[in-house]
Amino acid sequence: MSSNRRAPLRFLEALGHNIFYAILLIFGQIGAYLLLKPVIFTYLLFSRKIHRNVAYYMERRFPEHGPVQLWLDTYRLVHSFGQVLVDRGWLGLRRGACLDGELIGNDELHELVGKGKGLVLLVAHVGNWQTAFAHICGFKVSVNSLMHYEQEAVAKHYFDLRKEPMPFNIINTDGFMGGMIESTAALQRGEVVTIMGDRYAGGPSAEVTFLGDKVRFPSAAYSLAAATGAPVAIMLAAKTGRRNYTMRLWDVFYPETGDRQNRQEDVVRWTGRFVKSLEEYVMEYPYQWYNFFDFWRQ
Amino acid sequence: MQELKEQIKEMVVRDLKLQGIEPSEIDDNAPLFEEGLGLDSLDAVELVVLVQKHFDVQIEDMDEGQAAFKSINTLAEFITASRSK
Repeated sequence: MSSNRRAPLRFLEALGHNIFYAILLIFGQIGAYLLLKPVIFTYLLFSRKIHRNVAYYMERRFPEHGPVQLWLDTYRLVHSFGQVLVDRGWLGLRRGACLDGELIGNDELHELVGKGKGLVLLVAHVGNWQTAFAHICGFKVSVNSLMHYEQEAVAKHYFDLRKEPMPFNIINTDGFMGGMIESTAALQRGEVVTIMGDRYAGGPSAEVTFLGDKVRFPSAAYSLAAATGAPVAIMLAAKTGRRNYTMRLWDVFYPETGDRQNRQEDVVRWTGRFVKSLEEYVMEYPYQWYNFFDFWRQ
Repeated sequence: MQELKEQIKEMVVRDLKLQGIEPSEIDDNAPLFEEGLGLDSLDAVELVVLVQKHFDVQIEDMDEGQAAFKSINTLAEFITASRSK
């Protein structure tokens, strides 16, 4: 699409955001939630693209559902994503706004960090995952986030709204070795490195079956942990109520390096641990999966 | 410097478990990654850890890594320079 055609879309997108921000400031979270329902319904009526992009996941998660049920499933998923975005704006714009959260496995997480070997914290684009960034600030060591530049812009947006400094350092995946050297150095200093374990954007990878079909997942996290001796902790967040969320430590393991010839097999095995947690997560929270593209062809 | 280069070559072959190549066969100026020794980003991570472990030198960021990991020569120069700081 040409930049001339994109400009009106960008304008409409910005207008939509600003209307929601205004509603949040005037009527608060509930006002924005109410507005969300007709907006999402209208969006689903007129956009074929969103149905297609959600169907990649929904048809695998609910293979038994017919077209009507899938339409309703899509509504529930897009609506829950809208609520997460509203919460993000609400937290950023309203003074004193806060969510009640619990971190299941908090003590274990701090125990792992206390060992001084660093910690690879694997997260995914599920639930209100950005809340996780706000919640993981309680460590006594620095927290770093290995992320792609475009994702970085989103994260900035979240903390810019709060007018607070970012509570973590960004390690950009652009550049020499995709941020692996900085991440290694951070782990060697005993720091935490958070990595999105689901979306593949280049670099080392492993193919693992997820919801019945093979998907290419990024695998750098496991190699980082194996080389430095750091544990891998899988932490996934879920929205559990209007002002409630839960973050759970789903799995912890120590990848170890074996023979060079078996390296890819090892990586597939470690990636499988992450994918198992991810499958358990979508069984429990089927409407909090926020990868709106053909995830199985990434 | 020559002794250091030999140590680095032995470390690379032994600890990265390279098959079918002897330390003495590695050219001092050959690229370590891709078309040279054929190392990849996962090896880079291990190399950062190995350099710290064997030579007590920390490679902090991609600028340092990019300069140091060009070849055996540049890595030896980097280690020597870091030690003299």
